[in-house]
Amino acid sequence: MAHGASDKFVYHEPGLQHQFEDMGQQEESVSIGMWMFLVQEIMFFGGLFTAYLVYRSKYPMAFAAGSNHLDAFWGGFNTLVLIVSSLTMALTVFFAQRSNRPMQLVMIVLTMIFGATFLGVKAIEYTDKYNHGLIPVQGWNKRTPAAAEHGSGPARPCWEVAHGEEHQYVNPRGEFVWTDCSLAKLAQNENILTTAERAQYLSNGQPDANKFRDKVRIFFYLYFVMTGLHALHMIVGLGLMLWLLWTAWKGYYTSEYYMPVEMSGLYWHFVDIVWIFLFPLLYLLGRHFIHAGG
Amino acid sequence: MSEHTELGKQHIGLPGYLGVFAVLVVGTILTYTVATIDMDRIFPGCNTLVALLIAFTKMACVMLFFMHVRWSPRLIWLAAIASFFWLAIMFAYTMQDYLTRSQGVFTSN
Repeated sequence: MAHGASDKFVYHEPGLQHQFEDMGQQEESVSIGMWMFLVQEIMFFGGLFTAYLVYRSKYPMAFAAGSNHLDAFWGGFNTLVLIVSSLTMALTVFFAQRSNRPMQLVMIVLTMIFGATFLGVKAIEYTDKYNHGLIPVQGWNKRTPAAAEHGSGPARPCWEVAHGEEHQYVNPRGEFVWTDCSLAKLAQNENILTTAERAQYLSNGQPDANKFRDKVRIFFYLYFVMTGLHALHMIVGLGLMLWLLWTAWKGYYTSEYYMPVEMSGLYWHFVDIVWIFLFPLLYLLGRHFIHAGG
Repeated sequence: MSEHTELGKQHIGLPGYLGVFAVLVVGTILTYTVATIDMDRIFPGCNTLVALLIAFTKMACVMLFFMHVRWSPRLIWLAAIASFFWLAIMFAYTMQDYLTRSQGVFTSN
């Protein structure tokens, strides 16, 4: 700050930037700015949740079938990983408020480790989808050539595909593959298919493998866009953490000035909240049909 | 205004943060467990309703305590609540269209 000749000594708090009256005003302005950003992030994800709402209400059984194919163990594990990272993020702010530099650094590093673990698990899951022909874009899946003895057995109805057998398929061009429509059959037998579902799943009164596959494909499309956008936010969050680590290392944050830590925390917790909703909505929605053989 | 800063430093302390963390872990285990129970027999959509109730509770914990909304000015409360209000409008107005469209039954299936 330049001091002109007319400047008397005016006390102000060391963390106060010149455009603000006092620390209270500065903190409120910064928080409101960050919250405005988070509100538009809610609308950003909200569009995807709307698409999910529309298609799940249209094809509930196809969504349940697709969901049951996701690995709920990895999904739950990742939920816990993110919750721990939220705790360490909250503690980063806690220690910044107390000018505790060593513990700030420890907590930032822990947050980064958990964030990276989350992305690692996501990579394992995406690889699994690639290997099983579950990426809803033709050509982006692992290809299984037609030459093998696949498909030599007698053709079975798609609702009698045994567990494990759905992995034997042919997709020479890397197509999305879905051969199991037992859940559509189950719902048909229990008479819980909606009128729209009966029109969209069945041909000649029986579940149609191709029709059902196309509806499951919508679920996987939403799964990849929603979790992909979330993973992108995690990557941005890790970038933020890297910057925080650097600045905290240089000792920028004390009880006098720690708003960048608090604001990065808001972002991190927001990303955690999105996952709190994605986990049950994507991984768990059809679990209660599994006992029924779905 | 300085008392606002002082207040901000208190928040819930270390035991409080660990307590909120414990609630979140219990919520996660609970949401996984109840998802395996067929509650749709009580009424259709019961499973999803319970899953969302747990998710909203977890979200409230994160927002109030980890994001310090509990100690934030009213304007922050307004922003947080208004965002869900707009989201609800988007869901409701979209669904009023989709849920009232033709059921598409043109065959005798």
